[in-house]
Amino acid sequence: MSFGRCFLKLPYFTNMFIVQVGALLIALTYYTNAQTSVVAVNTTIPGSEQSASGLRQLAVAVVPQSSVFHPSLRSQFSLNLLSAFPEDLEVSNYCVELLAIFGQRYSTYVNCLVSAARPVKVCQNCYGTYGNLMEIYKNISDQMGPGNVSCRDSLLRSDRLMLVFLLYSNLEDIWTASECNRCVSLRHYSLTNDTLYFMETLNQSLSCFEKYQKQGNHSELCTECKATYRGLNELYSRMEKNHTLCIDIEDSMNMTRILWSKDFNCSFPRAETVPVIAVSSFMLFLPIIFYLSSFLHSEQKKRKLIHPKRAKSNPSFINIQDKFS
Amino acid sequence: MHPSLLQDSVRGCPKEIPHNEKLLSLKYESLDYDNSENQLFLEEERRMSFLGFKCLEISRWVICGLIGFLTGLIACCIDIAVENLAGVKYYVVKQNIEKFTEVGGLSISLILWAVLNSAFVMLGAVIVAFFEPGAAGSGIPQIKCYLNGVKIPRVVRLKTLVVKVCGVICSVAGGLAVGKEGPMIHSGAVVAAGVSQGRSTSLKKDFKIFEYFRRDTEKRDFVSAGAAAGVSAAFGAPVGGVLFSLEEGASFWNQMLTWRIFFASMISTFTLNFFLSIYNNKPGDLSSPGLINFGRFESDVSVCLLLSSPKPCGLLGALFNILNYWLTIFRIRYVHRPCLQVMEAMLVAAVTATVSFAMIYFSNDCQPLGPDQSEDYPLQLFCADGEYNSMATAFFNTPERSVRSLFHNPPGRLFYNPLTLSLFTLTYFFLACWTYGLTVSAGVFIPSLLIGAHRTLARLVSIMFVCRSLSQVWAVPGKYAFNGSCRGIVRMTLSLTVIMVEATGNVTYGLPIMLVLLTAKIVGDYFVEGLYDIHIKLQSVPFLHLEAPATSHWLTAREVMGAPVTCFNRIEKVGTIVDVLSNTSTNHNLGKICGLILRSQLIVLLKHKVRELARSRLTQRKLQLKDFRDAYPRFPPIQSIHVSQDERECMMDLTEFMNPTPYTVPQETSLPRVFKLFRALGLRHLVVVDSENRVVGLVTRKDLARYHLGKHGLEEMQLAQT
Repeated sequence: MSFGRCFLKLPYFTNMFIVQVGALLIALTYYTNAQTSVVAVNTTIPGSEQSASGLRQLAVAVVPQSSVFHPSLRSQFSLNLLSAFPEDLEVSNYCVELLAIFGQRYSTYVNCLVSAARPVKVCQNCYGTYGNLMEIYKNISDQMGPGNVSCRDSLLRSDRLMLVFLLYSNLEDIWTASECNRCVSLRHYSLTNDTLYFMETLNQSLSCFEKYQKQGNHSELCTECKATYRGLNELYSRMEKNHTLCIDIEDSMNMTRILWSKDFNCSFPRAETVPVIAVSSFMLFLPIIFYLSSFLHSEQKKRKLIHPKRAKSNPSFINIQDKFS
Repeated sequence: MHPSLLQDSVRGCPKEIPHNEKLLSLKYESLDYDNSENQLFLEEERRMSFLGFKCLEISRWVICGLIGFLTGLIACCIDIAVENLAGVKYYVVKQNIEKFTEVGGLSISLILWAVLNSAFVMLGAVIVAFFEPGAAGSGIPQIKCYLNGVKIPRVVRLKTLVVKVCGVICSVAGGLAVGKEGPMIHSGAVVAAGVSQGRSTSLKKDFKIFEYFRRDTEKRDFVSAGAAAGVSAAFGAPVGGVLFSLEEGASFWNQMLTWRIFFASMISTFTLNFFLSIYNNKPGDLSSPGLINFGRFESDVSVCLLLSSPKPCGLLGALFNILNYWLTIFRIRYVHRPCLQVMEAMLVAAVTATVSFAMIYFSNDCQPLGPDQSEDYPLQLFCADGEYNSMATAFFNTPERSVRSLFHNPPGRLFYNPLTLSLFTLTYFFLACWTYGLTVSAGVFIPSLLIGAHRTLARLVSIMFVCRSLSQVWAVPGKYAFNGSCRGIVRMTLSLTVIMVEATGNVTYGLPIMLVLLTAKIVGDYFVEGLYDIHIKLQSVPFLHLEAPATSHWLTAREVMGAPVTCFNRIEKVGTIVDVLSNTSTNHNLGKICGLILRSQLIVLLKHKVRELARSRLTQRKLQLKDFRDAYPRFPPIQSIHVSQDERECMMDLTEFMNPTPYTVPQETSLPRVFKLFRALGLRHLVVVDSENRVVGLVTRKDLARYHLGKHGLEEMQLAQT
């Protein structure tokens, strides 16, 4: 697709090229005027005497001249360049507006994301801003503006970088990776019912934790909050099976679990060491009995030796038979 | 193998000794690789047209294709069955453990696990011990012997195949420390032997096809193709399979055969891949070419790290072999009754479960659950919520999955700590050593891989704790683990290297793998032979190694041969033949210098002649080669043939049935010379003649195999009845 586009646009590019070259020439004349003395000095160094350092100096002197897009220069001339484009190449006002809105919403969303990074709340806090961003991107990419202007080509695909598209797709990737779609219905700009229910249950557990944590007695906490916590766990595993988990829920569940198991130390204690050891050692004892009894009671299997017919037997062999007799 | 039973009974009670490795059993015979070019054979060859020979060649290819296909299918069945059975078992145990972690009573889960394991293993052991003892073990020693030219009774029967397949499913599902690769090779061999004959004697069904192939020569070629197909299905390594057959049966080889075997291997791995990908609902994906699947490794090798492991690995392998050797001797001597064998297998299964449970129970190593649920059966036990017991990944899993999780846990996740790894290695080492040699059908490859891998990884991880600067290597610990995989146990260098390279799908590791294997083999060989060789020895198989013992040149054929030889006249009385055959258990009888005739041939002759004689001599049908083929491979014993007094007086002409040009050697030929001739031509009998070309003796496989180089120079093994 993009290749085709490029090909079609060839005349534009040539146009642009001419314009750019013109601009460059102007820039060069300015620049060379300013730098002439340096260049002259450097080039007059005799070739036979050129040391490495001399070469380097020369390069330093020449390079800025050849690199037209030196930062300092660009800021000086870029505005001029843009204004020099003919009418039909310019991005329409409508698109510029869209781009501005895109930028605004983009930064809003990114700000939201960053502030919701830890503990992760990217879905519940930022789904609104993401929806807005998505909307404006859709406008750019799909809709026709007034006078049948499509900003898709001019904003999204007219250069190699395709910055707008790249920016958007990065955020889209983040959205997909966080599985927010499972918790948020973007159509209604709201969290799904499952998510809300989970939040509610989570809050119950957390408030329970808080209540007993104040008393500073963790064992009481473990017994009292067990029911709600287990309910939360079950709900979570149900949601896991239904694939309705997003990063927010996963993270909050993780944090709760860490609270429960590590901070409050409520996971199951290793209480039955003795019976396990007893049963294990009994099991381990069985083979010993087995082998002993089969050693003592089972008759040993004997092999009947058979003497082969031989022309003559050779006494120089070490006979295995003798060892065992 | 000599007509000595009679002698013994004359001399009095035969001497009895306990079983040991320096015996040769009477029950093993040699395969007849050499064609008997008697008149019948020549006649048949004359009758056969050019087209007929072309057809034979084509049917050889067809058979190889079929062998590959069926082997692949069997592998597929085994894989699916094991996965499902083990899945059910682990699900049940997991539910139980989860329940009892909360309310208490974990020892009940332990018992449940042990009982489930024992139940599976009991089933597997019962069918092996009571129905087909030949299906015990990995089957690789037996196939090695078969390819070496030893006819192991019942090893390539249909019944053996069925028992083998069911047995391996049971023992892997029963949680023993075993793999399913060795049995695959045996299965492939049985399939080959069955398909190439175009009939099943067990099912009493004869398809009347491939009758030409009912000979040891042809059958053995197909069996080597089957073994290759088995290897290729087990490891997804077709070239490795071909090389395995080449390494084991190298003395009888030609290019066309190699090519056909390669065909069978390719078909086999493709079939497995194809059906497994259909089973996994990813048709056309073709991502599981072998039963064991290491997945793909990223290519990034630093050789110095890879090479850090082989020497201790060889030592470990040697230790494994020595322990297993003593255990096997004990088993042969004392645990020989089937019910005892079943009990032993059940005990091992129960103890395996117990040890695993104890390990998991007392392990403090908890890891967070992965995002993609890569653990198949994560056990939480006493870990914090959202974490799982990492010891359980190793133990609460089939060995194969355990290997895979070891090699392929996502980089950056510190998935095992050194203590866990070392403990696992240690227990698994002893468990695997204890398990191999039980009366269940199971392989030893995966366990050895696990031991080696874990050991290396353990060391690697502990090294890393010391020098954090190496933290870049964190990304790929699995790879190093892989290279440490203990090949000290098995020691088939060439084919194993290629199998490894193919199974990982990465040629870059070729050199390191090879060097590691080589070192491990050298170190291991210094102490003790390979595991399979030990088991071959312990089964008293007359196995011919590559060369005769080094210091045996002074031995001549006269000392080696068996004598005197039973001789018949060219035209002999039926009565004499019957008497001789009834009195001895020999397989070979010699018609003077003019030819060699086999016991089996005589029996077939007697059977048919007798029948014909009962009618009239004039209408006698001409006996054809087909009659011999129909009787193959289970020739009736002489007792089943009844010869009346009248018939005893009849004369029988052996001329057209005997092999008129048997190989002969003079009496003064040295043992290595005889050995070379024997092994290179795949002989079964070698006639020893004197200067006047009179028969003085006969060299058979057992006469050659009994010499071996021991600690005190050349030693001689005893013949024994087993």
